[in-house]
Amino acid sequence: MRKNKTTSLCPVCLKRIDAEYLFEDSTVFLLKTCHTHGTFKTVVWRGEPSFESWDRPKTPAYPKTPRQTGKEGCPYDCGLCNRHRQKTCTAVIEITSRCNLNCNTCFADTEKHTAPDPTLAQISSWFESVKRYGGNCNIQLSGGEPTVRNDLPDIVDMGRKAGFEFIQINTNGIRLADDKNYVQLLKDAGLASVFLQFDGISDDVFLKIRGRKLLSKKLKAIENCGKNNIGVVLVPTLIPDINLGQIGDIIRTAKDHSPVVRAVHFQPVSYFGRYTDMVSDDRRITLPEIMLHIEKQTGGQIKTNHFKPPGCENALCSFSANFIIQTDGTIQPLHQNTGRSCCSAPSPAAEGAEKAKRYVARQWAFPEINGEKRVPVSPGMSTPPSAQINSPNGLTALDAFLRQTRLHTLSISAMAFQDVWNIDLERVRDCCIHTVAPDGRLVPFCAYNCTSASGKALHRI
Amino acid sequence: MKYYDESEVIAWQCEKCHQPLAMGPVSVEYLGNRFDIRLPKCEKCGLILVPEDLALGKMAEVEQILEDK
Repeated sequence: MRKNKTTSLCPVCLKRIDAEYLFEDSTVFLLKTCHTHGTFKTVVWRGEPSFESWDRPKTPAYPKTPRQTGKEGCPYDCGLCNRHRQKTCTAVIEITSRCNLNCNTCFADTEKHTAPDPTLAQISSWFESVKRYGGNCNIQLSGGEPTVRNDLPDIVDMGRKAGFEFIQINTNGIRLADDKNYVQLLKDAGLASVFLQFDGISDDVFLKIRGRKLLSKKLKAIENCGKNNIGVVLVPTLIPDINLGQIGDIIRTAKDHSPVVRAVHFQPVSYFGRYTDMVSDDRRITLPEIMLHIEKQTGGQIKTNHFKPPGCENALCSFSANFIIQTDGTIQPLHQNTGRSCCSAPSPAAEGAEKAKRYVARQWAFPEINGEKRVPVSPGMSTPPSAQINSPNGLTALDAFLRQTRLHTLSISAMAFQDVWNIDLERVRDCCIHTVAPDGRLVPFCAYNCTSASGKALHRI
Repeated sequence: MKYYDESEVIAWQCEKCHQPLAMGPVSVEYLGNRFDIRLPKCEKCGLILVPEDLALGKMAEVEQILEDK
C-alpha cells in the first residue's frame, strides 16, 4: 500500500522537504511546507480510478554500478545513486540546445541556451556511458530539436554501432516534413521511431502552444516516415483550455494513420522555468481526467478500465493500454480487463523494465512481418480478413492474430512528468527514463528538468 | 520465428492409446483470447501434441503480445 507521506522539494530554495498526500473527496493534493518559504499545495489526482487503487508495487532494482555526485541524497546525488530503484529503460541524450521553434512548454528551455552543439566524440562518450551505467536500453535523441543537426544520421549510426537496437528521435517534425532525403538518411542509419510532438488536429492549437501553424507539417512528417518505414508516436502535450477537447480526434488521427502511427503518448503539461506565483490547479490535468476524456471522446470504445498502471516506472507516473484496430475501423482492447487485483503483489522492477523496454522497441517501431520489412503502406489501409491468410500448417488463427496485432496494434498511454510543485521523490527514485548529463551521469528525467520558481535548475547546467 | 513441419510430427503416437496422432481441430485459449487451430492429436483420448518449435515460436509470440505491459 502506498504511503501518504513522502518527500518533495521547496519550489523556492529546492531544499528537500517533507510532503504528504491530502485527500479532499476524490481529489488528491501534494501538500508540503518549507520552514523558510511557506506551504505549497498542488493537485496531483482528480477522480476515478482512485489514487489509492492506482498502484502496481515493485521490488526494487538497484543499480549494479551506482555513480554518485557525493552531494546529500536524492535528488541531488543522481548518477544513478545506490538508492535508485529502477533500471534505465530509455536514456535521453540531448544532442543540441538549438531549436527551430520557441514553445512555452519546453522541458529543455532552449531559448536561453546558445551553447555549441556537443561534438560527435562527446556524443560517442555518452553512448559508452549509457552502455556502462544503463545497459542496453532504448535511446531517445532529443534536444533542443535534434533535426537541426545535419549529422543526425551519423549520430543514429553511431548509436546503432555502439549496440543500441532501438533509437528514436524526439522532434517537432518540421524538418521531416520538409526534407524527404533527410528522412531516408535517418532510416538508412537505423532510426526506428519518431516521437512526434502532435498537440492537436487544428492549427489554432499549434499556434497557441508552438507559436506556428503546424498541422500540415505534422501530417507530411507522418507521410514521409511512412514512406521510409519509420514508426511514429504522436505525443500531445495536454493543456487545459487549449486542446483537451481534441483528445478523441488525436486518437482517431492515429488510427487513420496506422500502421505508420504506432501509438499516442499523452503528456499532461508540467511547468518548468520562471513562475513568480504558484501554478494554479486549473492549469493542470491529471491522469484519471485524461482517461475520462479518452472514454468520453471515443464514445466509450476506449474505457477507463482498459488502462493499467505501469510495470516499469512508478504507478503514479503513467497509464497505458493496447488496442487492435479492426478492419471495420473500430478499436478493441487487446487485453481482457482482468481487474487490477492481479497487480497487488509486488513484482520485480527489473522484470518490468525489461518488458517495457522490449515492448517499446517493438510497438513504437515500424512493424515487421515474418522478419521482412513491409512495403510502404497508405494511411488508413485495411488488413486483409483473416480468411484470406493461408497457413500451410493449420495455424490460420494464430497467423491472422499475429499479423493483425503486429500491423494494427495502437498503443495509448500517458506519462505525467513532475515539476517542482508536484515532485515526489519516491516517484523520482522509481524512474526509468534517464537523461544523460554532460559528464555522462544518468539523471531521472524529472529531476534533470526540474527548476525552482525563479527558474534555477536543479541539475541542468 | 520458428515453424514446424507437419510431416515430422505426424510420426508421433499416443503412448497411452498406442494410436498414431492425426491432425485435428483444437481450441487454444490464452488470457481470454481463443484461437481455433489444427494440431496433431490422439483421436481416442484427445491428447494434443504442441510441437516444440510452435510452442517456442508463434505461440510464444502470441503469448508475449497478450502479456505485454
